[in-house]
Amino acid sequence: MASYIVRRLLYGVLTFFGITLAVFVLVHSVPGDPIDFYVGTHITHLSQAALDAIRHEHHLDEPLAAQYLYWLRGVLKLDFGTSIVDHQRVTTRILQKLPNTFELNLIAFLLAAVIGVPIGLWSATRSGRPVERASAVLFFLLYSLPSFWVALLLMEFFSVKLGVLPLFGMTSDEYLELSAAQKFLDHARHLVLPVITLTYAQLAIFARFSKSALTEVIRQDYITTARAKGAAPQAVLWRHAFRNALIPLITLLGLVIPFLISGSVIVEQIFEWDGIGRLYFTSILARDYPTVLGLTVATAIVTLLASLLADVLYAVADPRIRFGETAT
Amino acid sequence: MTAATWSRFRRSRLAIGALVYIGIVALIAVCAPLLTSDPNSVDLASRLRPPDRTHRLGTDDLGRDVLSRVIYGARISLSVGFTATAISLIIGSLLGAIAGYYDGLADWGVSRLIEVVLCFPFLLLVLAIVALFRPSFLTVMIALGLTSWTTEARFMRGEFLRIREMEFAQAARASGARDSRIIFRHLLPNAIAPVLVSASFGVASAILIESALSFLGMSIPPPTATWGNILSSAEQHIEYAWWLAVFPGIAIFLTVAAFNIVGDRFRDALDPRSE
Repeated sequence: MASYIVRRLLYGVLTFFGITLAVFVLVHSVPGDPIDFYVGTHITHLSQAALDAIRHEHHLDEPLAAQYLYWLRGVLKLDFGTSIVDHQRVTTRILQKLPNTFELNLIAFLLAAVIGVPIGLWSATRSGRPVERASAVLFFLLYSLPSFWVALLLMEFFSVKLGVLPLFGMTSDEYLELSAAQKFLDHARHLVLPVITLTYAQLAIFARFSKSALTEVIRQDYITTARAKGAAPQAVLWRHAFRNALIPLITLLGLVIPFLISGSVIVEQIFEWDGIGRLYFTSILARDYPTVLGLTVATAIVTLLASLLADVLYAVADPRIRFGETAT
Repeated sequence: MTAATWSRFRRSRLAIGALVYIGIVALIAVCAPLLTSDPNSVDLASRLRPPDRTHRLGTDDLGRDVLSRVIYGARISLSVGFTATAISLIIGSLLGAIAGYYDGLADWGVSRLIEVVLCFPFLLLVLAIVALFRPSFLTVMIALGLTSWTTEARFMRGEFLRIREMEFAQAARASGARDSRIIFRHLLPNAIAPVLVSASFGVASAILIESALSFLGMSIPPPTATWGNILSSAEQHIEYAWWLAVFPGIAIFLTVAAFNIVGDRFRDALDPRSE
């Protein structure tokens, strides 16, 4: 197993360089002066000497390969430069907003798992029956709903028509004057709609994934063996099938995180939730490229780490990966 | 598509319905100028009117007819969906074919490349590309095409690995055919079906992402009507103009669902085990 994990980690290092190289190439293939990325496009009032100084400071006067290495050194030190909007360090800005995104996504992730996995397992045991076919179509439709539209309809119904939940924001205006219990309740009320929006699409992913995992397990020889030796159908499911079907869910860790971050951009923008998704989009609008690029690289690296973790956990949980032939 | 696959596909009424729906939407998109008035004709006297006789789906904040804008929006959604998928189909098929056929270093390189692309949150990467190169029809299509080819590549690679040592491939090799001929004439046509399934899902996801980009104001710039940008004006007037939010959303939802259903049933039809 050690050799498998070592190889996986080495690939991870390679992928890390691939990620940084991809972003670097992307930025440098944009027509125009790269100095725009560092000081913004409003540089006409600067003298030539000042521009040269900025170029020198950001190593823009050096060959491309050297520029990449300087940038890579920054990324390795988690230093993505400073924002051109407020001149704060990009890393500081990201860390400030991260807890808000984390809160929203963790709740949605857990809800989706707790509701989606049992539904998926259940529908695998009812494979081919009308109920299961109907629920499969239902999940498909759910998956096809654009999240920003769902968000708009939820706002329209719960906030405008019924007036029971706040339209957007993380807290009410009078939040600071509330007691601790009221604060909790107020924040919870603001959480409801964004959490629903983030949960429903993941629900479909969890359900489909766990359904196909269990369907795969039920086809295996050891399930046939268990049935053949006369184990009760329920016991076969609980003792043999379910536990093995849960293992592939580990890989969802690496798959769901980029999906969550993408979803956060839209949901946080609509509900004015002050997280990294909203930071990303406002930085795009402000042409704050250091923040945009920093967040792009940072989220890609988080995804990479999550999928490495998932692969290692998978190898620990499933001996066939550890001792089987090399995975590609 | 073989006759057997088609007859299995045809058995699903849902799939046929989805296919017919896509056909109708495509027809409406092509014939848009014949069916409806100018989607950009501004009428400030009738701003934000609810649906009535003259404006069946109401008007937006500039008094433009929502029905015409939804109909013209279909043109953008379908053309972005199909072209972006065509781009990713070409990139994905080529890379997947090379990886599956040559094995070794080529396979290793393509696999690492896929790993890198999959690490980026899809929407962030697309937004960054579109913003860096300025939003337009072209940049949106290219951004979507460049970022979504990984599924096609993996399917193609898998198919190539499965069929490249089959007898017909060996026969071609034995008769002295060049690699390019074996790949394009012999293997590709036999490997394309599962890739087309993922292309159908690809169209669905391209339409969905384009509408999200439009909603965020990061796609084809106004005044061009897109389903997403009607919804973004709905967000500004959410407190009194429900019709702006409802109709374009239904259009996106049904179209995306139709492509997803076709892809799903096509996949089932390809797999005789699913009987």
